Amino acid sequence: MIEVQKLLKTFHDRKRGEVAAVQDVSFVCPPGKVFGLLGRNGAGKTTTLRMLATILVPTSGTAKVAGHDILEKPAEVRRSIGYLSGETKLYDRLTGRELLTYFGTLASMTSSSIVARIEELRGPFGLSDFLDKRIGKMSTGMKQRLSISRVVFHDPQVLIFDEPTAGLDVIGARAVLSLIQDLKKKGRTVIFSTHIMTEAERICDEIAIIERGRILAQGSVESLRQKSNQSSLEDVFVEIVGSVDGER
Amino acid sequence: MLAVFRKEVIDTLRDGRSIFAIFVFPFLLYPAMLFFISWMHMKEGEEAKALEVRVGVVGGATLPFLADSLAAMPGVTAVPLEAAPASMDDAHVNAVLVVPAGILGSIARGDSARVELLYKEADNKSSAAAARIERILDPVRQALTVSWAQSHGAHTDTPPLLVVEKKDVSLKSEMGRYIAALLIPYLLMVMMAAGSMQTAIDATTGEKERSTLETLLATSASRAELLLGKCAAVIAAAVTGAVTGITGLWFTFAVVAKAFPAMGTSELELSIGPDKLILIFLTLLPTAVFLSAVLVAIGCFARSMREGQTYASYVYMVAIFMGLGSLGQQTPSMSRFFIPFLNTALLQREILTNSVQLLHAVAAVGVTTAAAAVMLTIAVRLFSNEAVLFRT
Repeated sequence: MIEVQKLLKTFHDRKRGEVAAVQDVSFVCPPGKVFGLLGRNGAGKTTTLRMLATILVPTSGTAKVAGHDILEKPAEVRRSIGYLSGETKLYDRLTGRELLTYFGTLASMTSSSIVARIEELRGPFGLSDFLDKRIGKMSTGMKQRLSISRVVFHDPQVLIFDEPTAGLDVIGARAVLSLIQDLKKKGRTVIFSTHIMTEAERICDEIAIIERGRILAQGSVESLRQKSNQSSLEDVFVEIVGSVDGER
Repeated sequence: MLAVFRKEVIDTLRDGRSIFAIFVFPFLLYPAMLFFISWMHMKEGEEAKALEVRVGVVGGATLPFLADSLAAMPGVTAVPLEAAPASMDDAHVNAVLVVPAGILGSIARGDSARVELLYKEADNKSSAAAARIERILDPVRQALTVSWAQSHGAHTDTPPLLVVEKKDVSLKSEMGRYIAALLIPYLLMVMMAAGSMQTAIDATTGEKERSTLETLLATSASRAELLLGKCAAVIAAAVTGAVTGITGLWFTFAVVAKAFPAMGTSELELSIGPDKLILIFLTLLPTAVFLSAVLVAIGCFARSMREGQTYASYVYMVAIFMGLGSLGQQTPSMSRFFIPFLNTALLQREILTNSVQLLHAVAAVGVTTAAAAVMLTIAVRLFSNEAVLFRT
């Protein structure tokens, strides 16, 4: 479960002073659901997700992730989440096994449970062929499978995906979306940011359209379509975001 | 080619921090280093003047003016001896002046007269004592010349010579220990800094540049745990650099020099016991922690690998200068044991020359440990700041 209450994050800019990257953002995502944050580049998606992952501290407001307050129990929050960003990379000089062991150890897993978990994941995630290969020598597809394995390695209750398909080809992107759907079926809470409408339409139970740090519209894909009287999510998005652009 | 050159120059000039590190920082660092060297030089002069030495004198009564000159020289205690001692350490003297019995007869005949000055090149205090005796002998020589000229009705420009024969009585092992005490602390500082620079910057700024930091920050480990883990790796690199360097030095002297005698020297024997090696290693640890914390803090602060490496290279230079400070010839004053890097190098020198003073050891280890704790705290704070992810 993720419960977000009036999150605000401001950054200091030398020329512009205090700039709000996220303002008054609130939403709830129950277990077994996928919540999508839909927005343009720089809309505030990443900042919101980084606050949920406790990488950033909110200026005001708070959130509960897996029952833990992000301000009061940040370590418990991080223990409960798996975080994947499309921008983040892996350690080229480690092997796949070393990488999984490293992140398993950081998640306080025991050595025996790490070994068992690697064995458990190597089949379903197709890791066997390259588990002991250095990451720097892996193909993009191999790295992607390893990244996904890393995210679910400690079996987190909540998964945070920040534009996870960025830079991936169709096959890679489909694998990520498939994983998200599997996690949803297993009852995990998933929050997912993207600017690709088809992805959001395909996997999200509920969507929040975010622009300039504010949530402009929120609801299921179907309800947003009905409210806007548009046939596609892309049209809904353009209409809502376009209306804000028009107000500037 | 010009297009690439132009782009790279623009790229560099627009990186404000790198500009500061390359063009401004040297104007702060080098004057500071000059100030430090001047201060060291001044201190050495003061310490040399304040040094108390004991000089054994054999047959001193036979040489006129010597007793008065010895008494007039501050910081010198003359110790009358029957004969040159087998061991200056056992006789509790730093140098010995041997005046032959028939010296006055030689002078009266107009022959040159010789006095022997025994000292140890491998002992700073003994060298200082010998230098003072030479200065003492100058007025003695003048007085003798005038006296001789008056008694012979001769000109003072053709007196019999009073020759001082300096004789280094250092044992080969003492000379080896002395050279080791000069070289090893300095080399340890340099090698430790060289070994840790790359790891520190790679583990911090490098992680940010390679886009692996965000994932790491989202794990359940605390920022302090992550930072201390990185510091531990840098400490390991620093210590490994130092140990590898010493092993290389040992290999050169103990293996290569013996295998190829032409490369060796018959003047010294380098031999360091395991007890000393352990002590040196232990004294190295606080400095390794301090150095690592400084470098990791730089890595957390720097926006780019380039900026981080530039700052780290200045730390390397400071380590070299501090190491050089340990090459001074006099017994160091307490104040130098309050300066990180320098204090460890000086303490290691004392360990290697069997002259450890408890206060020096306490000050060196205590100050460096405290400095390491402060730098670790700063590094943890920098790494805990969310700007660590955004400084680009």
